[in-house]
Amino acid sequence: MYQSLVAYLKRYDFSFIGSFFAIFLVGVLNLYSATHSQTHDGLHMLYRSQIIWWLMATATAIIVSIIFNPKTFERVSYFAYGVTFFLLILVIIMGDVGMGAQRWLNFGPIRMQPSEFMKLGLAMALARYFSRVHPERELVLKDLIVPGLIAAIPAVMVIIQPDLGTGMLLLLIFSMVIFYKRLKWKTIISLIMAALVGGVLMYNFGLREYQRKRIHTFIDPYADAKGSGYNAIQSEIAIGSGRLFGKGFKNSSQASLQYLPENHTDFVFAIFNEEHGFFGSMFLVLLYLILFLRLIWLASSVQRFYDSVLVIGITGIFFWHTFINMSMVSGMMPIVGIPLPMMSYGGSAMMTYGVCIGMVTAISNSRNFFN
Amino acid sequence: MFGEEELVKVHKNRAGIIGNIMLACFGLILARLWYLQVYKGEQLHQFSIQNRLRKEVVWAPRGQIFSRDEQLLVDNIPRYDAIITPQYLLERDETIPRLEKILSLEPDTIQKLLKKNANQATYRPITVKKNIDFNELAQIESLNADLPGVSVQTFISREYKDKDVGAHLLGYISEISQDQLPKFKKRDSFDYRLGDFIGQFGVEEQLDRYLRGVNGHEFVEVDSRGRRKRYINTDNLFKGIEDENPTQGMNVRLTIDRDMQLAAYTALEGKVGSVVAIDIETGEILTMVSRPAFDPSQFSRGLNPEYWRSLITNKLNPLRDRNIQEHFSPGSTFKPVTGIMGLEENLVDEHSDVVCTGSLKFGRKAYHCWKKEGHGSTSMVKAIRESCNIYFQKTAMRTGIDTLAKYAHLLGLGKKTGIALPREVSGLIPTEEWKKKRFGEEWQPGETLSCSIGQSYVLTSTIQLAQAYAVIANGGKIYRPQLVKEIYNEKGEITQPFKPELVSDFKFKNPNTLRLVREGLYQVLNNQKGTAYYRRGKGLQMAGKTGTAQVVRASADKVYQKCDQMEYQYRHHGIFVAFAPYKNPKVAIAVLVEHGCSGSGAAAPVVEPVMTTYMKKYQPELYLENLELEKQMGTSIAPAAKVVPVDVDVD
Repeated sequence: MYQSLVAYLKRYDFSFIGSFFAIFLVGVLNLYSATHSQTHDGLHMLYRSQIIWWLMATATAIIVSIIFNPKTFERVSYFAYGVTFFLLILVIIMGDVGMGAQRWLNFGPIRMQPSEFMKLGLAMALARYFSRVHPERELVLKDLIVPGLIAAIPAVMVIIQPDLGTGMLLLLIFSMVIFYKRLKWKTIISLIMAALVGGVLMYNFGLREYQRKRIHTFIDPYADAKGSGYNAIQSEIAIGSGRLFGKGFKNSSQASLQYLPENHTDFVFAIFNEEHGFFGSMFLVLLYLILFLRLIWLASSVQRFYDSVLVIGITGIFFWHTFINMSMVSGMMPIVGIPLPMMSYGGSAMMTYGVCIGMVTAISNSRNFFN
Repeated sequence: MFGEEELVKVHKNRAGIIGNIMLACFGLILARLWYLQVYKGEQLHQFSIQNRLRKEVVWAPRGQIFSRDEQLLVDNIPRYDAIITPQYLLERDETIPRLEKILSLEPDTIQKLLKKNANQATYRPITVKKNIDFNELAQIESLNADLPGVSVQTFISREYKDKDVGAHLLGYISEISQDQLPKFKKRDSFDYRLGDFIGQFGVEEQLDRYLRGVNGHEFVEVDSRGRRKRYINTDNLFKGIEDENPTQGMNVRLTIDRDMQLAAYTALEGKVGSVVAIDIETGEILTMVSRPAFDPSQFSRGLNPEYWRSLITNKLNPLRDRNIQEHFSPGSTFKPVTGIMGLEENLVDEHSDVVCTGSLKFGRKAYHCWKKEGHGSTSMVKAIRESCNIYFQKTAMRTGIDTLAKYAHLLGLGKKTGIALPREVSGLIPTEEWKKKRFGEEWQPGETLSCSIGQSYVLTSTIQLAQAYAVIANGGKIYRPQLVKEIYNEKGEITQPFKPELVSDFKFKNPNTLRLVREGLYQVLNNQKGTAYYRRGKGLQMAGKTGTAQVVRASADKVYQKCDQMEYQYRHHGIFVAFAPYKNPKVAIAVLVEHGCSGSGAAAPVVEPVMTTYMKKYQPELYLENLELEKQMGTSIAPAAKVVPVDVDVD
């Protein structure tokens, strides 16, 4: 018994949970630093709930990694997609309005954001689909119709909440998966062209005023420095003022004086930069890169194709969040509400990441166990 | 068909591309961060400081002003203003009425104020109410969270302990207004800001650069809602950003004696006039009071417009310092000047008597003595004692106005004394040349006669008269009148001692000159026939001269009309100048009572309590000696009731 436990632990892949923990640790310290002075808003205790969320997410990850076999994931893929899809419909029907958008579902004390779960649901459904339907084939345009719908329908539902960021994210996850699934370069190019045209049309007809404003603001944040450009400018100031070494832990002036709104969610990266400077950010970026490259490596070293596609999907979830958040906070993208994985405050997201980490660990473990 | 593992292998290529894309993406992020944090780091760092740190002025406490015996005359007290910073003014519909209620302002006052200041930068605070009381202050501070954008600014305002007493001398401070700004900037080559306080009157103005101190600054953190807290630079995040403590202004000890001030102020009650007392050995000003006055405290607390209007519409002009900013005909108080001239120029001597018949015909004009029936045979001493016009006119007749002017100048008349106070008038001692320049006419010898008794063109100020009598008392020395004894810093170290400044020292040729004039002046108060015998007081041993100056050039019949029956503005000014003690002079006092009718009736009673205060306080031994002397001479018993025959008043 003892020996088999030792043997199990030796084969257990701790790298993802370790990486999850490392980033969380940086994140929760940063969260504490960003909010410790906001006593009047009740935000100074936020880091505690974040720790609780992380504990729950880690527990979930461990449970998922131990009791589930990747084959189970494959079996429940469509079911999981279906459930989250149903929840998204519920949001439209009876969702709670918060921050001007209908994103939340309340089940008694539990308050959740189904669009978070949809990211994983989508990754699972796509993995399932692509591992069954002509898995060997290089994709052309017509192969994208069914998986395209699988991604686009929830994406549209999220966008109309309205949550443009998460909707786009679903499409980006989809793009990463189809790219992995060997979408032909010719098709890629034509899709990019179509996306450009679609983007222009979307901008003119499909976006709400505030979303359009964000794009304007992105192009010239200083045109409306006190209004909609405020966040962008303050964020850049926060980052830049960190310079090489940062102002030090708990010394973010932008945060403690609340020049940065939502500094516990979307703008944590700005606070981190202000306090730890360029070298600190390099360290953080490195932590993320280790996780992502490890995931990519895992995707190429599994035995089953479903696992491989799923890992790519999950990679997409982590990567796009991270990249978009960092880009928008540093002023390279318009400001959309995309949190930074493990760094931003948020329970639903943390739980989703916990499940993701559990699944990739299970996949990694299964690879070792069956070797 | 591929096997599962082969499928994964086939896709390895794409996985690699994804990995590389991710690396590239993070490379991009790091490049961006490098751009922001290193390339633009310094600039954005400055932004972040400006964003949150506001440099706020810490007002330097102004120096205190003390009397010569170190009694506090002027102190600082805090003053609070309610201000709004429009940038941070949130929830206007609630905040504004809330504030208006606290400050008991009319509804819409603040809206109008905001509209008025709409085109200035929104971070510029707007003063809503000046000098709020403690109740209002407490309410604003406790409702801080519900009043975004509202705050209280602390200033230091001045408190003048004796309010109106000596207001002209002490002056006031008030905010620099828009039109004054360039003027003061140029004058002091100092970068004043609108709203800075500056001394604008009296000592506060004259010694402003000593009293002012150096304002400090402190850095205050302001969050995005305008809440401020003191920035404590413990982490050394920002080098070069340091608070700077203000340097307190220098304290000033004046030459003024507070008790004499109060005595003078009280003695002038109900009168319009001024009092100057000078230490004859140093030129130090002991007393300087002008009435009506004003309350200088009001100016540093946000002047109440009604109060200001009441000051500037008052016909008596309370803002004018009647000691130095007004000149008038000295009347008979000028006669000793003519007397000195006569003796020094050997026109008269101790024994050359002049017969006064009550009038003197000169040219086509008759000059009258105040005493219709005349003084008869009159000597110098008698002429001064009884204020005989004819004696001095006959003396002056024998020379010209220029000679008279020379002696007047020797006594300091007709020119600024140079006292360190702004806007002093010079008075006027006419000369032939002056008249030619001024009117293009020749000097008429008859005018010399008028001038010799302090009329016609002759104009002096109260302070000049005090100085002139000080010169008579000290034997020819003119000291520049001093107001400041010393200026010292907060540690008490004297940085600027003031020493007596001798302007001129005239040696009288005739040894009898001063003796006779002084004797005459002494008898004015100490001889039963003297014009101010009944104002001699006790233990003072004063020597002095009454004067009554016609305000309008009166025809002969007007001269004899009862003064108190005339309209106020036509009544004569009453003047009295004295020094004491006669044998060992220490102090000279001049008093002007505008439209007081006579020197002995209106002005001399003011001199008496001031002189008594001086003697008791500074020359107690001499005072006792004098009392003893008077007892021996039997003159110490002043009349029980100071009912003075009216005709004695006219001199």
